[in-house]
Amino acid sequence: MALPRSADAGGAEPVAHSPLVRGSRGWHAAYRRVVRDAFATVPLYRERWALDGRTDPVLVPGRTGHDGGAIGHGEATRRIPDLVPIGGGSAEPDPLRGLGSVLPRLDAGGLVVVLDGTGARPPADLREGLRGCVLDPNRLTTDHTGALAEINGRLRRRTTVLAVGTDKDLARLAEALEDDTLQVLPTRELSDLGSAGLLHDPLLGFLGNVGDCGRWHVDRRHVYVRETAAGLAFTVLGKASPRLVDILVGDGVPGTVARCPRHATPVLKT
Amino acid sequence: MTRVEIVDPRSDPEPAGWAEFRHRLRLHPLWAYDLMGVESWLARNSVLLATARRDGRIVAALTATVCLSLRGNRFAPLPARGRPVRPHLVEVARPWLSGYPGVVFDDALGPAGRRATVARFERALTRRLGPGLVGVLYRQLGDADLANLTGRGRLTRPVDPVAVLHNTFADEEQWLSSLHKKRRSSLLRQARAVAADPTLVVRGGAGRTDLDATEASSLINRHRAGFAKIPLDTRSPVAAAYLARFLCRADVHTLTYHDSTGRLLALNIMLDNENSAVLQHWASVPVTDGGRRHLYFDAYRRAVGHLVTSGRPELTAGRGMLEVKSDLGFGPRSLHTVAVPRPLLGRLS
Repeated sequence: MALPRSADAGGAEPVAHSPLVRGSRGWHAAYRRVVRDAFATVPLYRERWALDGRTDPVLVPGRTGHDGGAIGHGEATRRIPDLVPIGGGSAEPDPLRGLGSVLPRLDAGGLVVVLDGTGARPPADLREGLRGCVLDPNRLTTDHTGALAEINGRLRRRTTVLAVGTDKDLARLAEALEDDTLQVLPTRELSDLGSAGLLHDPLLGFLGNVGDCGRWHVDRRHVYVRETAAGLAFTVLGKASPRLVDILVGDGVPGTVARCPRHATPVLKT
Repeated sequence: MTRVEIVDPRSDPEPAGWAEFRHRLRLHPLWAYDLMGVESWLARNSVLLATARRDGRIVAALTATVCLSLRGNRFAPLPARGRPVRPHLVEVARPWLSGYPGVVFDDALGPAGRRATVARFERALTRRLGPGLVGVLYRQLGDADLANLTGRGRLTRPVDPVAVLHNTFADEEQWLSSLHKKRRSSLLRQARAVAADPTLVVRGGAGRTDLDATEASSLINRHRAGFAKIPLDTRSPVAAAYLARFLCRADVHTLTYHDSTGRLLALNIMLDNENSAVLQHWASVPVTDGGRRHLYFDAYRRAVGHLVTSGRPELTAGRGMLEVKSDLGFGPRSLHTVAVPRPLLGRLS
């Protein structure tokens, strides 16, 4: 198994899949299972890795392909029907996948408001006791007046309301509300991580967050990431459809995967 | 002395002289070795190609689909896995080429030579695939093919015929005038309606490189999913990677209907060589989902137009909807299946 070499990630120690990273063996094994299953069942990966090749694992002897077998984000988006396993499945990506795993701990009864103008369905993986909704930031004052009244009411009652979205959309929501006690969590792109927020991609969903150590942690229960020549390639672990394996988020953002010295879990630096 | 060789198009190099043999027998592009490789990688059941040589020259070929799975949720095992352990059947036919056999012979090979070659093919398959091979099913055989394959203990059954239109027409008008008056007038009316639709973009031709293969394969697979499942259908969904290589060939004609936003509404794929033109895939978006009426018959009219202008001897159009096709002048051509259980493989005297 080839271990990715990493440079320093904000004080983090290099190499994500070393025995020093907590649970790295299981994390890597889960990734390899997903790769093998995708090769056996999903047309795009079968095509790419059979005809071209890939690394870690090499599925067809002698064929290692390019960029380690990673798939460009644009190509994956264009070819979503080919990301559905041949046994069948959904061809609709869930842009809010993984939100529940990357949110901070919230009080029971709290409301999570996601600002998304792409028609995403409400988050389905929030912790028990939390409610979630999606508001279109372009239609806050036209289509969502009822929702805004509900949020205002909750804020007056000092119930937790956490809004998730881009900085611009969060500012729009704050402007539309009467109360300024709204909690906000901005989404970040891989190419522009900043120092706080949630790492998000419209195709793969939520991929990680900033830990209390100030480093960007990968949601390793649901996401795997590896370094390739073309940039960081992300994999959504599990068997959801469409299947997303080794996708170059941002169509290839150079970065490193390393070990967090405080948590001993994988962290990112771009 | 005839020498038989079996290759896996996924991993083995193309047999020497294969392209020349394919050209000599005017085999349709589905027999192209590179396409067979892509097809096999992206199929539930992998494909083997067997060739028989005399004096170094290929004189016969057989394409075998090794059918391990009917459930359809995994692609075929890797070529390096060796002989499959599970019981499996071999189908001799080219998937998605209706009405043509999967075993072909050079004209120079006489009846006795053909039967001897088939026996050699079967023995070679038995050696290659091992004890899990339960039998061989020859599909899509014409009347003339039966003599090469039937024998004691071999089960022969007639199956649905393929629709064939023999080209006896001087021009498209003559074909139209040969049809029933009601069908003729409806075809002309539909052609006018299609031509008058300003939101419809119709393009056709060989070697298309302007098409989105993912969109085309999705349309074909969605269209096929709308039909009842055929029992024991061992074919796989049509893969985008396959179409990307297939549609750009000079011997593959593709007729497409797009709407004004660029959405693919229907397509018709036709294989074409000096021996015959073959209507292969037809797929369309349902009218309830934004599709258009009359495109199916419009595609047929254009295909017959190509048949007439190119002077091909015949146009075949698959095995379904024979009543409709007979309205368009097509007649049936008998087809048969021959099943050979394992103990009788290679025993064809």
